[in-house]
Amino acid sequence: MSTRLSKRIRKILLYVGLTAAAAVVLFPFFWMAVTAFKQPGQAFAQEIFPSNPTLENFRRVLADYGFTRYFLNSVIVSTSAAVFATLFATLAGYVFAKKEFIGRDKLFGFLLASLMIPGMMYVVPQFAIINRLGWMNTYRAMVVPHLANVFGLFLMRQYMMTIPSELLEAAKIDGAGEWQTFRTIMVPLSVPIIATLFLLTFQFHWNNFLWQLIVTNVERLYTVPVGLAMFKSAHEELYTLKMAGSMISVLPIALIFFFAQRYFIEGMTMGAVKG
Amino acid sequence: MRLPRQRGTKTAGGEGPPVGLTRARRDNLTAYAFLAPFLIIFLVFLAYPVFYSLYLALHKVPADSFDIFGGLEFVGFANFVKLFADTKFWWSTLMTLYYAALIIPSGIAVSLALALLLNNRLKAVAVYRSAFFMPYVLDMLVVGIVWTLIYSPHVGILVRILEGVGITAFSEKGFLGMPQSAMPAVVFANVLKGAGFGMILYLSAIQNIPRSLYEAAEIDGATGWQRFRQITLPLVKPITFFMVIIGTISALNAFVEVYAMTSGGPNVDVGGKALGATWVTGYYVFDTFYNQFKLGYAAAMSYVLLALTLIVTVVNRRFLRAEI
Repeated sequence: MSTRLSKRIRKILLYVGLTAAAAVVLFPFFWMAVTAFKQPGQAFAQEIFPSNPTLENFRRVLADYGFTRYFLNSVIVSTSAAVFATLFATLAGYVFAKKEFIGRDKLFGFLLASLMIPGMMYVVPQFAIINRLGWMNTYRAMVVPHLANVFGLFLMRQYMMTIPSELLEAAKIDGAGEWQTFRTIMVPLSVPIIATLFLLTFQFHWNNFLWQLIVTNVERLYTVPVGLAMFKSAHEELYTLKMAGSMISVLPIALIFFFAQRYFIEGMTMGAVKG
Repeated sequence: MRLPRQRGTKTAGGEGPPVGLTRARRDNLTAYAFLAPFLIIFLVFLAYPVFYSLYLALHKVPADSFDIFGGLEFVGFANFVKLFADTKFWWSTLMTLYYAALIIPSGIAVSLALALLLNNRLKAVAVYRSAFFMPYVLDMLVVGIVWTLIYSPHVGILVRILEGVGITAFSEKGFLGMPQSAMPAVVFANVLKGAGFGMILYLSAIQNIPRSLYEAAEIDGATGWQRFRQITLPLVKPITFFMVIIGTISALNAFVEVYAMTSGGPNVDVGGKALGATWVTGYYVFDTFYNQFKLGYAAAMSYVLLALTLIVTVVNRRFLRAEI
């Protein structure tokens, strides 16, 4: 009787703890949303929920401050980067997992070693290369330098190694060529990891603020984070608009996460657990 | 009798079928054809830059020059010599250390606490797990901007809440405007955003611990705290080490959070010099490159970052091997 009661109390305490923790962790996003719906200029009004909620902030950032264009740019950059990065990693992951060729293990080790290089290291020389190629202020500049995703390649290889080689052999005996084997056997069996990598690269590019800032200086090509940063420095005091812009920035990823969280969580932690 | 040649090893001329490609050679060709797109991008944009960066670091790069391939004046280690005499740079490494010293233990503590909370048979656990993880996938820039609102002086929500309980120390300048609180405030925002990642790692490690260990300890009369200290903590050590490594590396790369919240400030007076209370090395690299356009100097600085990262990784590896 008393143990059952104490079990109940323990359960209630756990829920209280979990809820309190969630409230703290999610508070910034709650506050962002609440502020975005307040009347323009009323960011610091003495109220938790806006007494007179409005969509005016969203209308203004989308119509008057170019966020529609920024959003479109972000979609173009993130989607094309995700498509090609995933494709290249799938092709490369396949041969690292299933083929034997000269220098395979050395090459793989070399690629993995590059993961230790801090991202800040690349900023200056990549900028110089983009400049030299004459790619400044293009979508190419934002996308191409990040299409060799070594971490993605690693995930891909680990996953593909678990697919039985007999299936590939069987296809070959049936007369399938290399490309056909890859397309009809390997790709369909790797759909979960392909989806994971697609989502992870999409998310990475959606948030890839520093690089997008560096290679663009015309408003026409700003992505959402770059537009937001520029807006922030130009209109420090327009908090309700800033929060509307912020919301536009995080909403797509939050939605994708909501529907595909398994892929995110597994993909992002897989490398850590196995590596 | 000749031993069967291993596939994938070097094909010497004269062996194998006399006409057409040997199987091994054809396999090599196919493999590299599949690899080509990845490798080309890798070589041009990831491998070459590492060497090119060294070239830049050893040359004088005029601030107005966009064509910075070749034709630069070789200055040897001048950039590095200048760097080691640069107070701002030493200060930035100190601030990076401070940042790491704050974020690593607090990140580990919060992640572990969340994992322990989730490690219970409760119905809504999956919902909470998603709630804790979600901020990790969202944009750091946005999170930083939202926190500048929360941390605002005078009218910000946090100073108002604190005023409600009689704390007015932060009301005048806000958390980000005061040298004492700026770095902890940046770290706090970042810990809440990133804790979900460590939480998942700890959670899976904890769930791999055999239940029998806890049952045996319970029979021996161990309290909950003792079970945590003696069983859980030692068995999740690999995760803790991993968290230290990635924590250090991300401290060396810290940039967006500083850009969004403080721009390296607020300034403190150190021996007559104005130095930023959140002036971490990652931000200094950005500032040198983006605001001052000193490419050679920024390249030299990023090389020091690389060296520090490698040292941290190697030292940690040693530790890992010794401990596990």
